[in-house]
Amino acid sequence: MEIQLTLNGERTTVEAGTEQDLATVLRQHGHIDVKCGCDGGTCGASKVFVDDEVRMACGMAATEAEGSDVRTVASLGTQDDLHPVQQAFVDNFAVQCGFCIPGMIVEATALLSENPDPTEREVREALEDNVCRCTGYQKPVEAVLDAAGRMREEGVAADGGRSVGAPSRGARSVGCCGGDCDE
Amino acid sequence: MSDDETVEADGGTASQPEGVGEERVEEHPLEWDEPANNDLSPGERDSVSQRAEKYDDRKLVTGQAKYTADYEERYPDLAYAAVVRSEIPHGRVTDIDTSAAEAMDGVAAVLTPDSDAVPDAKYTSAGQSYPEPSPWDMHVLNEHVRYVGDPVAAVAAEDAETARAAADAVDVSYEAYDYVTDPEAAFDADAPQLFGEDEVENEIVGHDYDRNRMASIEGELGDPESALDGDDVHVHETEWETIRQSHANVEKHTSLAYCNEDDRHVLVTSTQVPNHTRRQLAHLFDIPIRDIRVKKPRVGGGFGGKQAMVVEPIPLALSLEIDRPVLYEATREEEFYAMRSRHPMKVRAKTAVTDDGDIAAIDIYALSNTGAYGSHGMTVAGNVGSKPLPLYSKVPNVHFEADIVHTNTPQTGAMRGYGAPQGTLALEGHLDEVARDLDLDPVEFRQRHYMEVGDLDEIAGMMGGEGAERRIRSCGLDECIERGKAAIGWDDVEQPEEDHLHRGVGMALSAQGTGVAGDELGAAQLMMNEDGSFHLQVGGVDIGTGADTAFLQIAAEVLGCDEEQIVVRSSDTDVTPFDYGAYASSTTYISGMAVKKAAEDARERILEWGAKLLDEPVADLDTGDGTVYSEETGDSVTLEDIGYEAAYGDEEREHILGKGTHCTEESPPPFAAQFVDVTVNEETGEFDVHKLVVAVDCGVAINPGMAEGQVEGANHMSYELAVSEGITLDEAGRAEVSDFDEYHLPSATETPPIESILVETHEPTGPFGAKSVAEVPTNTVPPALSNAVRDAVGVRIREMPITAEKIRAKLDEREH
Ligand code: FES
Ligand code: FES
Repeated sequence: MEIQLTLNGERTTVEAGTEQDLATVLRQHGHIDVKCGCDGGTCGASKVFVDDEVRMACGMAATEAEGSDVRTVASLGTQDDLHPVQQAFVDNFAVQCGFCIPGMIVEATALLSENPDPTEREVREALEDNVCRCTGYQKPVEAVLDAAGRMREEGVAADGGRSVGAPSRGARSVGCCGGDCDE
Repeated sequence: MSDDETVEADGGTASQPEGVGEERVEEHPLEWDEPANNDLSPGERDSVSQRAEKYDDRKLVTGQAKYTADYEERYPDLAYAAVVRSEIPHGRVTDIDTSAAEAMDGVAAVLTPDSDAVPDAKYTSAGQSYPEPSPWDMHVLNEHVRYVGDPVAAVAAEDAETARAAADAVDVSYEAYDYVTDPEAAFDADAPQLFGEDEVENEIVGHDYDRNRMASIEGELGDPESALDGDDVHVHETEWETIRQSHANVEKHTSLAYCNEDDRHVLVTSTQVPNHTRRQLAHLFDIPIRDIRVKKPRVGGGFGGKQAMVVEPIPLALSLEIDRPVLYEATREEEFYAMRSRHPMKVRAKTAVTDDGDIAAIDIYALSNTGAYGSHGMTVAGNVGSKPLPLYSKVPNVHFEADIVHTNTPQTGAMRGYGAPQGTLALEGHLDEVARDLDLDPVEFRQRHYMEVGDLDEIAGMMGGEGAERRIRSCGLDECIERGKAAIGWDDVEQPEEDHLHRGVGMALSAQGTGVAGDELGAAQLMMNEDGSFHLQVGGVDIGTGADTAFLQIAAEVLGCDEEQIVVRSSDTDVTPFDYGAYASSTTYISGMAVKKAAEDARERILEWGAKLLDEPVADLDTGDGTVYSEETGDSVTLEDIGYEAAYGDEEREHILGKGTHCTEESPPPFAAQFVDVTVNEETGEFDVHKLVVAVDCGVAINPGMAEGQVEGANHMSYELAVSEGITLDEAGRAEVSDFDEYHLPSATETPPIESILVETHEPTGPFGAKSVAEVPTNTVPPALSNAVRDAVGVRIREMPITAEKIRAKLDEREH
């Protein structure tokens, strides 16, 4: 069936089976920034905003998204104009394999829009259901606290307000090494 | 390898050490012939030691980087795979009824062990070098099943849901055999036997399949037996036990196979070992190596779980059958019961200590449960001794022995630390206990015996092969201890006011290796473009650690340009030079050195061109800031000018290419000192870990930000090893864990803050002084936490995980 939704700011129609979850449908429409690390609801990698609320896209039926405003991590910033939370993750070495990172950044952004000055404990609580095997959470937590500081200083809205402190180096438009070309 | 050949405990690659003597001093000189440019002081380094941005980070934080599953949209006719797995722990498949599955809409193929596309050959999933030091005891699909989870049949269908449903519809009948899940019981003469001799090729030293023993290894230095028997020594003995830990990589094992227009087989796959995978697939499917291409895109965590050919044969067999691209992504449940885990072990430590507090002898025995198959079984068990024991290189008499047994339980494999966590728990817990018994300061007790620069570490070579004996040329243990103690507040632990709360601190040391001594190869190639930029092709495998960025920093340091001027392309067997893969902490050290050599090779040509253009002798020239410049005259020419000149200039035009290959007998240990601060409630046994501090000597950190990240992630994994249950099994060896909620990885709120301290030393055999960093902090939390609990309330937990219930039980025992 056809589902109408606003996807990263654009009115879109997607095709979805009644049984399909939102993560699968978004991925089928090229939104590979929605990652799936489990078979539903236990890793947090697939977090997106649905009408400004954080949801695990794998855990909701695609049909449930009819008429809503869905935003993935790609809505926050682009490679050469990162959202402050994304920038803080880069600057604090909070990214290793990166698989859990889209979900973590979505959750962290939601936290900062509600609570611009969180304690370390509050950051940890916000990331409670985001599984990361690589970082021990240490640097992601530092990154979120750093982002909070930057955003307070610069007065940036957490909901995808444009990046401040423009990136010091332009994004490299290198294809994913070792796999991006066919032959 | 023929049937009757056996692989020795050393992997068949190194010889046993000979007697102590001058000869070996020459073999392992302390003064290392190091090129001057390798030993730059911090102030002289431009790229190395900088906290350079991880080159793919912007793609990762915006979700644009591609992992294997993200390639599905490229293949409109992609089919999806699912696997039928044994539901019984031990038995034989008597019949497979595929009719219901085949009749389902959208099912493209169902394969069974008899299908033509399914190879008969035996193999090991372990992604190791050749000859492989693991037994060939597996089949892609099995008739004889040995654990709940053994693959029996495979399905391809139009979508993943249909494939799963079809797999569920395959009806398998079994003849059930008796099974054994306990490793001690597996030894019994009347225990069910998992393998007949003829069911294994490439058997390993010490195998005894009548007793379910896959291998047995032993090594000795001095005369430990007499030393332990002496009447002037105190003999202590303790036994320790570790969990079945899951890699829990967030990206599941995923692999996509297709045949391209040149009739070559391409695997896009989440692997740590592209070259080994290519060789193993060639062997298994009888396809020439040249006709297989293994490409690694971004990998969402490996930790050793992907140092194995776990899933690749399934999509390849299916793609051969249906002549379409096939994607297989394991389910999260399969990750826990059918992929790989850390070998659970029982390890016994025994020491003889003199009245003066000198350790006269150490004896370690490990019983390793390798599960149904033997992948990495012998080599992991070897590391139980050969990684931690060398820490105490001054101990004259040492014995190590390990038995590796089969049980009808899920498969084990390589995992970060690779046996060292199990050995470190036993040794560091044991020594702490001995020090307390003898009323010695546990830190000083260790310091009396541990390794120093200049020591010839014979213990590492005791069993030959991996970690073979070596000269210690860099060692920052003293500084690790000093800074770690200060960071945890070792000397001023304040007790809580409440009477039932007790605070304690514990510490543990660790050593690892860097690469496998004598059994590593990395290669790289650097091409200069006409605009003065570069393409770096390197076989080294970045599985999320930032290795590609480290390679860029190393190349940029040599070439004197910005990292952004270099494009890195890694791990595609058609394009990048050979590499053994990302394991054994080798990537920066081995592949990084290959990159350095390739960059130096290119730099030589660049300097020649600079000399020509500047009309000055090469000897006066240097590279820096994207130029070649003369120290003498101050003249310079840009790399861009050189690039154009080399490509389009005079009749001596050339494409500037550098190549580098690195292999070595060296495997310098990195060191770590772990500190844990805990408060224990004496009434309930509950405990609260306030902080983990781990100080690591990794030589020169190529990128300190990334190195800290590696240390913290490894320490989190180590913390999990100390406090979580791991994959628990029921009585039939069936995993009781099917998702992340059930597999209790400490979450952000349950993980104590981790303070990582990098202690800089200089390892002359490594690129710019680097050794390794990512494994050594995986080893230390279990003993340090056990020691801290002992310090706080006087009870000792030897069986992981450390839980409130166990502490409480010990406290109760003590009171009665
Ligand atoms: S894939 Fe959605 S929470 Fe794991
Ligand atoms: S960065 Fe790898 S799982 Fe979080």
